[in-house]
Amino acid sequence: MNTDAIAISLDLINRHYQEPNRNRYESRYFWEELYTLIAASGFSAIEMPYEPVWQFGGRSGVPFNRYCVNTKYESAAKYRAVLSASGIGRVTGISFDPNLFMRNDNLNFYFGATGHFANEALAHAADMGADYLAISPSPYYGRIAQYHPDLEAQKEAFTQRTIELLEGLAAKAEALGVTLVLRNEYWSLFGGDRLFPLLDALPDSVKLDVDTANLFVAGVSATHFIEAQIGRIGCVHLTDTNFVDTQHVWKTPNPEFPDHHATQIFRDPGTGSVDLPHIAALLDRLNYQGPVICSARQTRDPFRALLRTRALLNQLQK
Amino acid sequence: MPNIRYANMAHWKTIPYRKIDNFREFYYEDNSNSAYYSDWDNILKYQSALGFDGIELAPWDLADLLPLFGSPENFTQFAKERGVTVIGMFHGAHASHDQGHFDEAVRSGREAVDTIVKFGGTYMNTCPTQNYFGTGPLSRDEVQQCAKVMNEIGRYATDHGVKLGLHNEFFCAINLQNHRELIESTDPNLVHYCIDTAQIAIMGEDLLTFYNDYHERISTFHLKDTASAKQPDSVRYAQDPEITDDGRRWFWEPGQGELDLKGLYHALRQHGFKGWMSIEYDGSPDLLASMAMTRYYLDNELRPIYD
Repeated sequence: MNTDAIAISLDLINRHYQEPNRNRYESRYFWEELYTLIAASGFSAIEMPYEPVWQFGGRSGVPFNRYCVNTKYESAAKYRAVLSASGIGRVTGISFDPNLFMRNDNLNFYFGATGHFANEALAHAADMGADYLAISPSPYYGRIAQYHPDLEAQKEAFTQRTIELLEGLAAKAEALGVTLVLRNEYWSLFGGDRLFPLLDALPDSVKLDVDTANLFVAGVSATHFIEAQIGRIGCVHLTDTNFVDTQHVWKTPNPEFPDHHATQIFRDPGTGSVDLPHIAALLDRLNYQGPVICSARQTRDPFRALLRTRALLNQLQK
Repeated sequence: MPNIRYANMAHWKTIPYRKIDNFREFYYEDNSNSAYYSDWDNILKYQSALGFDGIELAPWDLADLLPLFGSPENFTQFAKERGVTVIGMFHGAHASHDQGHFDEAVRSGREAVDTIVKFGGTYMNTCPTQNYFGTGPLSRDEVQQCAKVMNEIGRYATDHGVKLGLHNEFFCAINLQNHRELIESTDPNLVHYCIDTAQIAIMGEDLLTFYNDYHERISTFHLKDTASAKQPDSVRYAQDPEITDDGRRWFWEPGQGELDLKGLYHALRQHGFKGWMSIEYDGSPDLLASMAMTRYYLDNELRPIYD
C-alpha cells in the first residue's frame, strides 16, 4: 500500500465533548500550528469534517465550513494556499454528518436543513479540490427514535425522502467532479446490510465508504465486506476499535457512548482489535486505488494519535 | 439563608454520559482524565461540592442533554438528587430587531420559556438580538422593535413564573449607543436585566455606575472578570470577535481580571440584592479548576462584604 497518499482525518480534534484544554480548538492559531504538525508526522493529505454548527454564534475559528473558511481566509483558494504552505498539499475528502439537525419532531426541518448544508458541504468539497464527499445517510437511529418514536412505522417514508435528498446531491456531485460516498455506520438507520437497498436505489456514481471500525462494531467481517463490495467502494477509512455491539447500543440515542458501559469506542489506529495490516494487504490484493484515510476520532490525545497512526503506517510499509 | 445563591452557567461542552457505572474500568482504558469530565453525575457533584447549588442551562446543549435523560423533568430530578437546582436557561432572541421576524422571535421565546418551566427554572437571560457585524447599526425603530419583542416574551415569561433578564454581549447589535435605550424602552414589570459583568464592561459601561443606575431592574448576574474593559468600536463591531484568533481571553475568573468586583459587592449590599448569581467560565481551559478558584475568591474576598 502506498502509505504516502493516505490522508489523516481532522476528526482527531475533539470539537464537541468536554475535556480540559479543548477551548484551544476554537481559535485559528491552534489549527494553523496543527497543519504543520500533521505534515511533520508524515501526512500531506487531510480529510475535513463539514460542521455547520461553527457558523452559528459567530465562532468561526474552527475551519469546518465555508462560512468559517471565508471569514478567516476570504476564500477556499486562499485557505488551500495556507494549507499548502504548511505542508498539506491535498484535501482528499470532506465528511458530513446530519445529527445536528435531528433535534425536534419536525422532519421537514431535518430534511430541509440537512439538504441545505449537505449541498453547501458538496460545493465546499469542490472548492477544496476534494475527491469525495462522505455523507452519513441518517442521524443516529436512537436519536431519530428519540424525537420520532414511530420511526419503524415511518421508516419507508424516511428512506424515500433520504433517497430524494441523495439523488439531488449525486447529480450535483457528478457535475462538480466530486464522488458522493455513503458512510456505513453501525448506529445508522442504514447501517450494516441496511445500507445496500439505499445504495441500490441511487445512481451508480454513488459509492460506498468502508469504515473498518464501524464494521467491527457491527460484527461484520471487513474481509468479506470488502471482497463483496470492492466494485463500488469509493473510499476506505482505516479506523480501529475494541468494541463489538452485542447489546443493541446502535439503537440508543448516543450510540458512540454506550449508556451502561462507558468505553472509548474508536481507538487510535493500531491500538485496537481491527486487523488493519490484513485489511491494507487485502486492498492491495484487490488492486484498490481509491482514497484511504486514517481516522483517530475519540482520541484522548491528538498529537499522540498522529504519531501512533504514523507508526501503524510504517508497519504497513514493511 | 444567604441573600445570594450561586450557580454556574453551563459552559461544559457536551457531556456524553448520564452516569458512568464502570468508572475505574473506563479510567484504565487510557489512564487520562477523560473519565473525570464525561458524565453529568460527576459534573453536578463537582458543582455541589464547591457550593454552586444552581445550574443555568445553555439551549445549544439540549439536543444532546435531553436524549440522555429523556425529559427536562428527569434531568432536574437527577440534578436535585446531587444538590443542584436548575435555575433557568440562556436564550438568544435572534433577529428581534426585524419587524418581519416578530412572530418567529416571539414564538421562539415562548418555546424557551416553556422549556425552562419544564426544567423548573425561573430565569431566562436573553440576548436581545444577534451580532453587530452584518446587522448594526440599528435604527431607532429597530431598537423599539427589539423592545416590543422583549415585552411580548417577557409578558409570557412573567405569566409562567419566569423572569426574562436582558443579557447584552459586547459584540451585539444592541451595543453601547443603544443599550440603555433598549432597557428603558421595555416594561420594567415584564423585562428585567441580567448583568454580565465582563460583557458590559468590555462594551464600555462602567460596571458600578450601571448597577447603581439600574439596580431595580436587575434580576440576576453573570459574574466574571475581564482585563479588557472599554474596547473600541473596531473590536466590538468586528466579525466574530468572541473567540480570538490568537487565543487571548476576554473573560477571566472573578479576581483574575481588573473589574472592581469588591465595589460591586458593596453596591449589592447597599441595594440589598437578593437572588441567584451565575458564575461564567467561558474561555477557561479547565472549568473545574475555575470553579474551585472562584469559590475561594467568593469565600475570602466577596462574601465577607455581602453574602
